[in-house]
Amino acid sequence: MTTQQQPPVLSIEGIIKDYPGVRAVNDVSFSVESSTVHCLIGENGAGKSTLIKMITGALLPSQGNMKINGAPYAPTSTQNARENGVATLFQELHVVDELSVLENLTLGMEQSRFGFLIKSDLEERVIQTLASIEPSINPAARVSSLSVAQKQIIEIARAASSGASVIIMDEPTASLSEREVERLFTVIRKLRSQGVTVIYISHKLDEIIALGDTVTVLRDGKHIVTKPLSEVSGRPELIDMMIGRCVFESYTPRNNLSEEVILSAKGLSNNMLKNVSFEIKKGEIVGFYGLVGAGKTEIARALFGADEVAGSIVFKGEKVGGSPKEAIAAGIALVPEERRTQGLFTNLTIRENIPVMNLRRMSNNGIFRADAELSAATHYIDQLRIATSSIEKHTEKLSGGNQQKVVLAKCLFSKASLLLLDEPTRGVDVGAKTEIYDIIRNLADEGNSVAVFSSELEEVLGICDRIFLLYTGSLESEIINGPDVDINDILNIVTGGNRGVTA
Amino acid sequence: MNVPIKTNTALSENRRLSDQMYITLLVASVAIGLFLIASVFVPNFFQLQNMLNLVTNNWAVISLGVGVTFLLVSGNFDLSVGGIVALSGVLSVWFAQSIGSSNALSSGLGLPYWVALLGALAGAIAIGGLNALFVVKFRIPSIIVTLGTMMVARGIAQVITQGSQRNTNLPDEFGVLGSLKVFGTSMQLPVVFMGLLLLAAIFIERKMVFGRITYWVGANPVAARLSGIDNAKHITYLYLFSAAIAGVVGILLSSEYQSGYSNRGLLMEFDALVIALLGGIAIAGGFGSVIGMFFGAIILAVVTSAATGLTLSPDWQYILKALAVFLAIVAQTWALARRNK
Ligand SMILES: Nc1ncnc2c1ncn2[C@@H]1O[C@H](COP(=O)(O)OP(=O)(O)OP(=O)(O)O)[C@@H](O)[C@H]1O
Ligand SMILES: [Mg+2]
Repeated sequence: MTTQQQPPVLSIEGIIKDYPGVRAVNDVSFSVESSTVHCLIGENGAGKSTLIKMITGALLPSQGNMKINGAPYAPTSTQNARENGVATLFQELHVVDELSVLENLTLGMEQSRFGFLIKSDLEERVIQTLASIEPSINPAARVSSLSVAQKQIIEIARAASSGASVIIMDEPTASLSEREVERLFTVIRKLRSQGVTVIYISHKLDEIIALGDTVTVLRDGKHIVTKPLSEVSGRPELIDMMIGRCVFESYTPRNNLSEEVILSAKGLSNNMLKNVSFEIKKGEIVGFYGLVGAGKTEIARALFGADEVAGSIVFKGEKVGGSPKEAIAAGIALVPEERRTQGLFTNLTIRENIPVMNLRRMSNNGIFRADAELSAATHYIDQLRIATSSIEKHTEKLSGGNQQKVVLAKCLFSKASLLLLDEPTRGVDVGAKTEIYDIIRNLADEGNSVAVFSSELEEVLGICDRIFLLYTGSLESEIINGPDVDINDILNIVTGGNRGVTA
Repeated sequence: MNVPIKTNTALSENRRLSDQMYITLLVASVAIGLFLIASVFVPNFFQLQNMLNLVTNNWAVISLGVGVTFLLVSGNFDLSVGGIVALSGVLSVWFAQSIGSSNALSSGLGLPYWVALLGALAGAIAIGGLNALFVVKFRIPSIIVTLGTMMVARGIAQVITQGSQRNTNLPDEFGVLGSLKVFGTSMQLPVVFMGLLLLAAIFIERKMVFGRITYWVGANPVAARLSGIDNAKHITYLYLFSAAIAGVVGILLSSEYQSGYSNRGLLMEFDALVIALLGGIAIAGGFGSVIGMFFGAIILAVVTSAATGLTLSPDWQYILKALAVFLAIVAQTWALARRNK
């Protein structure tokens, strides 16, 4: 076959990237064949994002070479990479809130002649791509009015319609729900059949198996293996290659659950929520599951007092929901949806990030307890295995999953008796996920309550005792977790299936 | 290696100089370097007395810089301090002047001296409250709000002094505060005030929860709110403190000169901002320190006094200041970027 003679579309030869105190990428070499989906996996901080930033010109390698179609390739900027046919979807969102969806989609791709923008089929193409992934987004809408997931979709559509021959996606599905993931996969497969190569990074191993042709594993910055997925026996083998050991996650019913209601919400309504009522019991782990836009984040924020909501929220016999300050004082803590904009102080260090939600423990008559801060930070770096060269590292320099762990640490340190976790393991690797699940279970066993708001069904089914299913802002159904939950039924409900013909 | 580090000792051994320390050291070395360079070129520059003067002559701006620094770190501007200096000075004079002179500018409210001072301070704090109200409640950008209140404060001072000054009919004790020598030395009370203020500010910034909250609020207000910080209350306190400092400065200055002058403190708000920026405080918030601001003040003082020493016409001072600020900011941005590469 002719493809055998073709040089690989991208080959990476001995790439190294050093940061002060860290070798983030350590002598990595592999090649990517044309018209394939090439998956890149590895633990948090393994160096995946760093590697692809070098491929797309956002970072310069300390050493090593790259080739595109056999020709030397050393991109100096993302613009330069795009001219070489490499487009990227970075882990962090890069949409401009003030512009419309369409303007965002064509941003940086406008064709110009003599400084004037010229009309091309570009607009047509991006609108089509967007519609094939998520038809409900209006191209004329302002991006600031969209949810995080919808913004993510915009970015995907932008990369997919850029006409590039290599598209790199760093955790594109981290904030998407199953349905959108399915649509994205259809788009990716279509791109592949048109000769586009996709480099795909994800911690969701099922996606890798469903979508990938080849997989490359990184561990501690080093290249472990590159092999066709057809030769991989399954999930356990992937996990084993990634972290060198096996992890399991399945729900084991927790007994001796208390009947004591710790929080009761009645008739929560705002522009998103429609008369939502539920109760959370002491020591219980409840899940809120629904598609993007179903109202999970809105419920979490309402309980925490971050948004205004009609209805009543009673926690331990007292009304809450007035402000986050009040919520924290009452013993409720939140891990917000978006770690970089809502959770972290990115220009401060890990140490300085952790104590913020528990000032009472951090201070002595207004004097800050530096010793307590240091030991708390050290404790959580250890417990959550935050991969960092130093406790003094600025959180913006951590890998995505490790940033998420810092946000979680902040929240754990609050010692709240009700934790609201909005997508708590977004961007966290499988190994760390199970550790976080263990922490959640332990907290619950100690009598704390945990509410997990997640668009990952696996996560909800893995740890929650009780699951609330949401559809477009209303609470459709409640199920008790156990061995005989019907997944099809759940998927049916969260897609509006039990609304009858009117839905 | 990027493996998670397990033990306490390993983590602390690995502690690098923080960006904050790095920039502060940078600013301090620039200040000292400039001083040495100036000593070579300017006759009689390298003298202990001159070094002291660089600080003591600038007590007013450095004091204002403390409030401005905290606000900048929290992500807010305070351009009103110069206006407040004029207002509180004029108020203290007007309140203390005795009643019933035929000349309108010689006739005040005749309040007891201490009441006059408290009244002046209250006037200053009221401007701070106005700042907080508009910034926090109505969410108007602080640069606009404080530009407005600066003019309001100075405007009131102008009305009270009819665009000139009040300096007659004052009680004898009026001039004492501003020229009081402390501890039997030549150290004047205002300088001592600045010194204590600096110490208190550094303590608050480094050691107190209040200081840390200022960084959190400035670094990411959304995350701060979702972490249970009451941003509104905190920023309100900061504006009140900054205004109170400016009020005291105004009172001390009017006592030193024994007059209330509506143009006093003119452009001091810009000098306070300039020394903060020279001192490495990030305009975007969440970064900077009072010590940095202090060395920023030294840089500015060395530049301007060296210029005077070289008998450069004062007309050149603006350009010199502008150059110093520009260079300082470029250097800091460059240094941080290089370091984080
Ligand atoms: N600007 C930087 N300065 C210093 N160290 C950095 C910087 N950026 C990344 N690192 C370090 O490089 C290592 C690799 O990070 P990278 O973001 O590539 O991980 P990743 O594999 O994408 O992880 P994740 O799955 O969590 O996103 C981490 O240890 C990180 O702390
Ligand atoms: Mg990453």
